[in-house]
Amino acid sequence: MVLLNNFLKPEYLGWLWNGFLVTLEISALVIPLATLLGFVVAVLRNGSPRGAGVAATAFVAVFRNSPLLVQLFFWYFGAPMLLPEAWREWLNATHTAELPWGLAVEWPSYEFISGAVGLTLYSTAYVSEEIRAGLKGVAASQRQAAEALGMRASQVFRHVLLPQAVRIALPPLMGQYMNIVKNSSLTMAIGVMEISYAARQVETVSFKTFQAYAVATLFYVLTIAFIEALTQIARLRFPPLGGRR
Amino acid sequence: MNFSVITGNLAYLLWGTWPNGPLGGAALTLLLSVGSAIASAVFGLMWGVSLAVARGPFKLVLTGLVGFLRAIPVLMLIFWTYFLMPIALGIDVPGILSVMAALSLIGGAYLANSVCAGIQGIGKGQWEAGLSIGFTRAQVLQHVVLPQALRMMAPSFINQWVSLIKDTSLAYIVGVGELSFLAAQVNSRTMVYPAEIFLFVGFIYFIICSTLDLAAVRVARQFQAAER
Repeated sequence: MVLLNNFLKPEYLGWLWNGFLVTLEISALVIPLATLLGFVVAVLRNGSPRGAGVAATAFVAVFRNSPLLVQLFFWYFGAPMLLPEAWREWLNATHTAELPWGLAVEWPSYEFISGAVGLTLYSTAYVSEEIRAGLKGVAASQRQAAEALGMRASQVFRHVLLPQAVRIALPPLMGQYMNIVKNSSLTMAIGVMEISYAARQVETVSFKTFQAYAVATLFYVLTIAFIEALTQIARLRFPPLGGRR
Repeated sequence: MNFSVITGNLAYLLWGTWPNGPLGGAALTLLLSVGSAIASAVFGLMWGVSLAVARGPFKLVLTGLVGFLRAIPVLMLIFWTYFLMPIALGIDVPGILSVMAALSLIGGAYLANSVCAGIQGIGKGQWEAGLSIGFTRAQVLQHVVLPQALRMMAPSFINQWVSLIKDTSLAYIVGVGELSFLAAQVNSRTMVYPAEIFLFVGFIYFIICSTLDLAAVRVARQFQAAER
């Protein structure tokens, strides 16, 4: 009862809801980007030109072995200093893109961009490891069999290796997507107004610490549970293909 | 690039104002990491063994707890412990302890899963053999199952500690003066060389984490070789 009587005012719930939407937005942006980049890094590491492979390995080591928070600080405070003056001004100003039918899209804030960039690069390192493990998990005999059928290297990759690797990598990849949602909370440190930021803001203004964090925690748990449910469905729909590994 | 800002603040970044003031910087990061690593191993073992042997409602509750801890961001848990621990214990809890508590709980939850899987990975025959020579279940666990399971789990423990070291940087958010906090402080004081400061700080973390990372690969190889 005490909890119900002391629940948050609709205004504060609105802040939290907007924060939740920003969390979803940044995650929805980072997940496909990190997957795409992670795929490129994984392929580069698995053979291909020597120099590129070494660079990809170094990339993964550097981004995995330093804290996301420090990386975000670097992208937010440090990187603009390394850019030309004109670029910096453009990034800090507000921009609106005019779309047809009178629609206008506002260019995201500099906080949001650096947060998304930082989170994408950090997550790319982890995602690439999962994809690489998936590619490694496909038996060598599969490649040999496809080559024996006269397929070109690109065909082997596209029609034989990839479909199997994706199925193997699916559950750990979904785990990484959950991490992306959770890690997006760190962007509050550089002023991205996502749910953790909103929770803290509500706490500061209303002094309802318990309620503010409880709502934010609930949003996280629900989002993670949703991804977990998707994982289970995907696992049933796309089980790892048969055959010995 | 101008690294004079680093040389000028090197001692401050490495150990804060110690010995004239409280310990801070990289030294505090290490202290925080070691403390949470030990505590998370204790939680991980306790919960992992319980998950593997428990039945009924207790198992359900524990599964729920571990699942919950894995579902929320570390940052959220730090807010919770920072705010709840003083209320629950009725005393003033220093920020560093609440961060340590949060990191140990989350680390423990992740370790619990691998401990549980490690125990379940040990064949039934080992249990039966232990019981048949007159050991109690607890003795079989202690002398037969755990030593084998722990050996398999060593790399995942080390990996968990690597993420733990990185997560100590979140203590920044509640104002604990570890490496990231002092770096942000130096940055806002000077405001001229942010790129240099955060590259350097990232480099310190990188050295610590990759050393442990290499150790994990080494340990994994050794155990694989021992099995053959």
